[in-house]
Amino acid sequence: MIKNYLKVALKVLSRRKFFTFISLFGIGVTLMVLLVATALLDYVFAARTPEVHADRMLGVYQLTMQGKDDTETAPPGYAFLDRYVRPMAKLPSVERVALVTGSQTVVSYLDGRKIQSELRRADGEFWRVLAFDFVEGGPYTVADDEAGHFLAVISETTRDRFFGGQAAVGKTIEVDGQRFRVVGVVRDVPVLRYSSSADLWVPVTTAKTSAYKEEWLSGFYALILARSRADLPQIKAEFQSRLREAERHLPDPKTFQHLYTGADTLFEGVARMFLPAGKAVANPGARLRAVLLALMLGFMLLPTINLVNINLSRILDRASEIGVRRAFGASSRTLVGQFLIENLVLTLIGAAIGLVLALGVLHGFNVSGLIPQAHFALNFRIFFYGLAIAVFFGLFSGVYPAWRMSKLRPVQALRGRSA
Amino acid sequence: MTRHLLKLIWNRKRSNALMILEICVSFLVVFMVATLGLFFLDNYRLPLGFEWRNVWDVRIGMGRNEANAGDAAAQQAFLARLIQEVRSLEPVEAVAGSYVVPFDQGGWEGTYKVRGRSVETGVDRATVGLDKALRLRLVAGRWFEEPDAAQSWEPVVIDQDLARVVYGAADPVGKALFDPRPEERQFRVVGVVSDFRKGGELLPKGNFLFRFASLDHPQGQSFRNLLVRVRPGTRAVFEEALVKRMQEVAPDWSFEVRPLPQVRATAFRFLLTPLIVAGTVAFFLLLMVGLGLIGVLWQNLLQRTREIGLRRAAGASRASVHRQVLLEQIVLTSLGVLLGTLLVIQVPILHLIGVLSPGVFTAGLLAAMAAMYLLSVLCALYPSSLASRVQPAEALRYE
Repeated sequence: MIKNYLKVALKVLSRRKFFTFISLFGIGVTLMVLLVATALLDYVFAARTPEVHADRMLGVYQLTMQGKDDTETAPPGYAFLDRYVRPMAKLPSVERVALVTGSQTVVSYLDGRKIQSELRRADGEFWRVLAFDFVEGGPYTVADDEAGHFLAVISETTRDRFFGGQAAVGKTIEVDGQRFRVVGVVRDVPVLRYSSSADLWVPVTTAKTSAYKEEWLSGFYALILARSRADLPQIKAEFQSRLREAERHLPDPKTFQHLYTGADTLFEGVARMFLPAGKAVANPGARLRAVLLALMLGFMLLPTINLVNINLSRILDRASEIGVRRAFGASSRTLVGQFLIENLVLTLIGAAIGLVLALGVLHGFNVSGLIPQAHFALNFRIFFYGLAIAVFFGLFSGVYPAWRMSKLRPVQALRGRSA
Repeated sequence: MTRHLLKLIWNRKRSNALMILEICVSFLVVFMVATLGLFFLDNYRLPLGFEWRNVWDVRIGMGRNEANAGDAAAQQAFLARLIQEVRSLEPVEAVAGSYVVPFDQGGWEGTYKVRGRSVETGVDRATVGLDKALRLRLVAGRWFEEPDAAQSWEPVVIDQDLARVVYGAADPVGKALFDPRPEERQFRVVGVVSDFRKGGELLPKGNFLFRFASLDHPQGQSFRNLLVRVRPGTRAVFEEALVKRMQEVAPDWSFEVRPLPQVRATAFRFLLTPLIVAGTVAFFLLLMVGLGLIGVLWQNLLQRTREIGLRRAAGASRASVHRQVLLEQIVLTSLGVLLGTLLVIQVPILHLIGVLSPGVFTAGLLAAMAAMYLLSVLCALYPSSLASRVQPAEALRYE
């Protein structure tokens, strides 16, 4: 039966070429935009080098200190993380905890050229929580960090800029008036990777002053690697109880009395940044997901109306066929089913076109260097999302026309008129 | 005529309702994009209030300083020396410390009371000489001078917007600004500059207030940036010398030089990228809608062959059939646009977006209307010329 429907569907599509073209154009462009958006989101949030363990990783990305008059929100400071988050590594469910700063632009001058780099300071555990692709040398260790050795891991781009692409391990690099010995070179990490991207990474202890050791709010993140995904809720709860403990030891209890934040997945962490600070939010990820869904539906509104409109016109075109089928006893439900399948076929062909267009657009992004060091690609996961979106779109835009079609009266339909 | 058209439309209400909905939603899309574009355009033509060419920003990283007053004093001494050193360099025309950097994201917003009413204003804390470094245009009074710090009141310079809000047409110089707050010295206006738009050309103008950062008497929030005006033609090579000199003075601090043109380009990209993306998406949506309209109109007219044939047989000319189809489409569009306008009007009524001026709003509405009429008439042309070619005899035979 389904085979029959497919045949009819393809026949109908080839009969009215202009309509088919319009429909496919609309569907293709719509799905292209959605696929590109999905690919971008996937690029930011999904597990990939160096965050290969993103599914069992939590981060503390921001901290809100609140008092009667003042509220201050920023990435947490070293003092807070060192005292209350780092010791979590001793929990049986936690494998490791790493501390790393946000990235900071630093400047070097080399033979009269100015080189701007993004620098992060990270402890030794950082290299074991994340899995960087080393092309040369290796990371510095926990001991190196504690001893305050001036060592650096650099990216391939940095190697090209400073050493003209030649082997860099053992050489010295000068940034921001400090000199580091290069111990490792890693593949580039695009700027969209929130907690790992940089051009060079150096030990935390090489900071110019040790003021950071006393600060509660100042540009550090903690990355917590759990033993398994199932442990995440328990670790989150444990973090909250430690946060309450920290509240009792605030450095300036007159100004600030409360602390708010959470141990978040990256997605939740980003969601938290958009939420009003100074409130305990249990599940920030759900809100961002709702917003993204609403955006997607909002964007699909116009293409859907358009497709419904075209579909309705096509149906009236086929009134006599429907009339014959109804006269011979096809139920409304059969007709609805047939039409939905036809629409799905149309949408899936459109999806294929959208996929090709999306590949082109993403390739354009990569070539233009709009987002530095990003290499967008479509993978199986995105393809799967795209397929889900296409099916949803097909059903969404097919239901109303199908219902209208099934409501045609046989007599009128046979006469070739709409109801 | 219109009544007749409306009746015709009413007879096919179900398919027409969808078309009206489609036009209405497209109208909303065009309105949003057009308004955003016009908003930037409208802002762009206003004067900026400062000159950004040949100005470099030096961002100073000194770690945080919640430290005690002794440290703050030491820090201030370093800053004073930095300014002195930089000023002595040959290519430097003027230099001043500033908390805020023009074009840079983020900033400092303050809320103050004027006769009990809240007034919001952008705030900066700046040293002597910022007027020279940014070439601010003083319209009354003067810029800060070092002896101001010793007064019992706090000297401030305001921009014309803020002067208008607080004093109306009266001369602000020498007058107290804002209602007094306990624990703070009373602000007193020493000068007025022309409208200062910290956000740059694309953002709307607003109130602005400069507070004084004295190098002799440190107090409150310190500045983190030096704004350096270099002589025209100074090359980027000078950056290295500049940074080296500053690192000699304060080896524990970090310095990052960003020419203001570069900061400005970044800010523009940040603001315009969403517009460009939205514009591109909207363009494709409209193309899609346009093609869809052609298809639907074509199909609808095919179904009305008999009706049109009858009109032709009864003596209507081709032009009149043509006109009927176009007019029907225009009436449909008007209904969609009307619906869209009713929705859009809620924005100013409910005060959803404060920064939108009535002029920009109206222009956005008109642009969206024009776009929708143009689109639907263009889409109706081909189907209607097909329809008008219907031969009466054939049409009447058609079953």
